Formats: sequence, structure tokens, C-alpha cells
Amino acid sequence: MKIILQKMEVQSRKGQELIDLTPQVERAVRESGVREGVVNIMTLHTSSGIVVTEGLPCLEMDVLDHLERLAPDEGDYYHNRYLEIDGRLGFNAGAHLRSVIGGIQAFFPIEGGEIVKGSRQRIYFAEYDGPLARTCCIQILGQ
Amino acid sequence: MIDFHTHPVLVREVVGRDEALLRVVREVFKIGNTLQPLETFHLQMDAAGIEKAVLLPIDCSTSKGCQIFSNEQVADLCQMSGRFIGFGSVDPHKKAVIDDLERAVNDLGLRGLKLSPPTQEFYPHDKNLAYPIYERAQNLGIPILFHAGMSWEPQVKAKYGQPLYLEDVASDFPDLKIIIAHFAWPWVLEAAMLALKYPNVYIDTSCLYFDNPVDFLAYVMKEQIPLSLIEKSLRHKIVFGSNYPRVEIRKMAEAIRRLGLTKGCLELIFRDNALRLLGEVSV
Repeated sequence: MKIILQKMEVQSRKGQELIDLTPQVERAVRESGVREGVVNIMTLHTSSGIVVTEGLPCLEMDVLDHLERLAPDEGDYYHNRYLEIDGRLGFNAGAHLRSVIGGIQAFFPIEGGEIVKGSRQRIYFAEYDGPLARTCCIQILGQ
Repeated sequence: MIDFHTHPVLVREVVGRDEALLRVVREVFKIGNTLQPLETFHLQMDAAGIEKAVLLPIDCSTSKGCQIFSNEQVADLCQMSGRFIGFGSVDPHKKAVIDDLERAVNDLGLRGLKLSPPTQEFYPHDKNLAYPIYERAQNLGIPILFHAGMSWEPQVKAKYGQPLYLEDVASDFPDLKIIIAHFAWPWVLEAAMLALKYPNVYIDTSCLYFDNPVDFLAYVMKEQIPLSLIEKSLRHKIVFGSNYPRVEIRKMAEAIRRLGLTKGCLELIFRDNALRLLGEVSV
């Protein structure tokens, strides 16, 4: 069985945005040579996420708006304090909570060398606290 | 629009290639966030509507045995991006301090001086150590931005950062433009007093010590002093500074915009006052 791990940098350009990673994931699967298996996509950051939804700009906005309503940037958060590890204040609890709610990973089967997914499904990197250069992992397991 | 207070300490193109500098950034400047490409710095500015940013180094060779960015590294970054305005820093304890200052301005093209008395361990009104620097800076026509108030850097004492020590400097060097950084928090009233009294004293807004930018800046600029003091009396004496990357530029800019200041006052804070300090427009 093959186990292949790829790390990929994603440059977000706004405070919040969804960035379509589907082409990169499909290419990674094709280049892996794996015919039957699974692919996992994961962000390495706790103020970003991986979400799957239909590839429409209106839905991209709705997803971000809804998560913002559930976990707004401004709030009476315990996280609004100095963090010794960062040397700065951590006033981005809203971004961390949107990451928790939206999730940080996605999983798809691989069959016949292709990702098995719905025709409308797109795989997005979700930036909740940008702009930043972020790192995502694509791990492919199979044979 | 100009951000008058940023530090290039996470720029990967420079810090990522210099292990010693990375250690200084982590242990002396004390910031733990991931290094970012230069593009992220530009995107942070874009997200805030900021066109140019002042880059600030600190030469603490004697007190800490290092430089938190050298003048040459700042000049290199300014070569890499026309959106940066480079300031230099010199170590007041060094014998060659005036030579260093002249080289920073005349050879490297840096446009102002950053001094951090708490990091560099000197009192700003020290006539032996500091006055020769002020005299030369005044002659060169460059502004000096002083760290004032609390610092997050470890082993750095706020006692050197009390703004009242700058009164002697403002009075003795009336043609030297002085910027009190971080609103000198917690000594906000003292900083406001100096800016109110001395035509050559300015304040930058780069302060965030608890809560979040919106709440903290509202506390400083609406409770520690009344907002009307800024709107009516200090509108020509405040410049926008973010202290990026300790704070995101867009979040500080948003916090300033939400204070309730008039459009005209915001234009002065975000642009015109900075241009005047940089000598790009006359008084």
C-alpha cells in the first residue's frame, strides 16, 4: 500500500475567503498512481478550515457569512489576552471557533484512480483570519 | 494612506535565510508567529487600504548583543518593495553612533530613526548618550520615532519608556520631529500633554495591550483621554501605526475608523500627518 503526503502552501488574500483546492487535490491523486484508496485533505492551522460545498460564489459568501454569524470576530472571548507563545494578543477567537465549527479536514474515496465525489462538490480551503500564507496537507493512502 | 509603525520581523525572504536573525526575532523581539512571504505583508496592507508602511529596526547591540533587523536589511527590503519607507536605528552606547546614523541616512537612504530606550537601555533625556544623536538627526532633517510605554520584549523595562523624559528632548531640539510610539501606554495622558504643548511632538496609534483593537483603542482614545481632544486639538499630531505583525494592520485600521472621528480627522491620521513628518508636504 502506498502512503503519500504532500504539503501545499495556500496564500489567502483577504480576511476571510474560500479558496477552491479541488484541482490541486485531483492532480495529487492522479500523480500518486493510487487506483483504489482514500485521500485526506487537512489544514495545519487552527484559524482556518477545509469545507466542502457547491462551487458557487453565492454559496461561498453564504458559508462565510453564516460562520461569521455563529462565531463573530468581536465577542467577549477569554482568548482576548496576551499569549506568551506568540508574543502578541490572541484576539482572533472568532476565527478559531469558525475553524472548529466548519472543520479542518475532508475525506474522499479513490476509485479507478479518480476521486469519488458528487458532481457539485468542491473542496475549499477556508481562511478565517487572513491574509496569510497557510499550509495544507494532502495524504493519499491506497494501491 | 500610511502605516507609520511596522516591523518586518516575519518576512520570510529575509528572516528565513538568516538563522541568527530568526533567533533574535524569537528570543529578543519575542514573536512566535509563522514566517510569511513578503506578499503577505503587502496583502495585509491592501486589506487595510494602506499604501505604504514604515519599517522599524532596533539596534540593541550593546544591551542585547544583536540588532532586530539591521539598517542594511531594512534598506534591502525597501529595494524589494516600493511600498516600504525605511527607518534606521543606531545604538546610543556605541562610539561610532553618529557615523552609523549618517550612513543610514546618506548612504542607505533611510528616512527616519527608530530608538527604543527600553530595549536599548538608555534614558531618552541622557545628554551624554543621546543628545548628539538628536542634534545630528535634527540637522539631517529626519524624524525620530521613540518606543514609549510598555514593551512585550522580555527583560525590557518600561522605566526607560516614560514619555515625560521626552519633554527635555522636545524642548531642547525644537526642530526635531518626535513621534511617541504606542500612545506611550499606559502613560497616555502624559503623551497627549506633550503632543498638545510641543509643536514637534507626535503620537502613533500602535497600542494594543489587552482585549482587542476595537475595545482597546476605544478605551485609550475615548476613556483615557476624550475623543474630542484628538478631534479638536491633536488632529494634526496623531499618525496611524499598527505595530504589525504584533497586530494585523486591517484590524487596527478598522478600530481607528470606528472611533467616531470625522472624515477630515481620519485623513490627517491615516495620511497627511505622516506625509508632513516625512517631509513630503509642508506644514
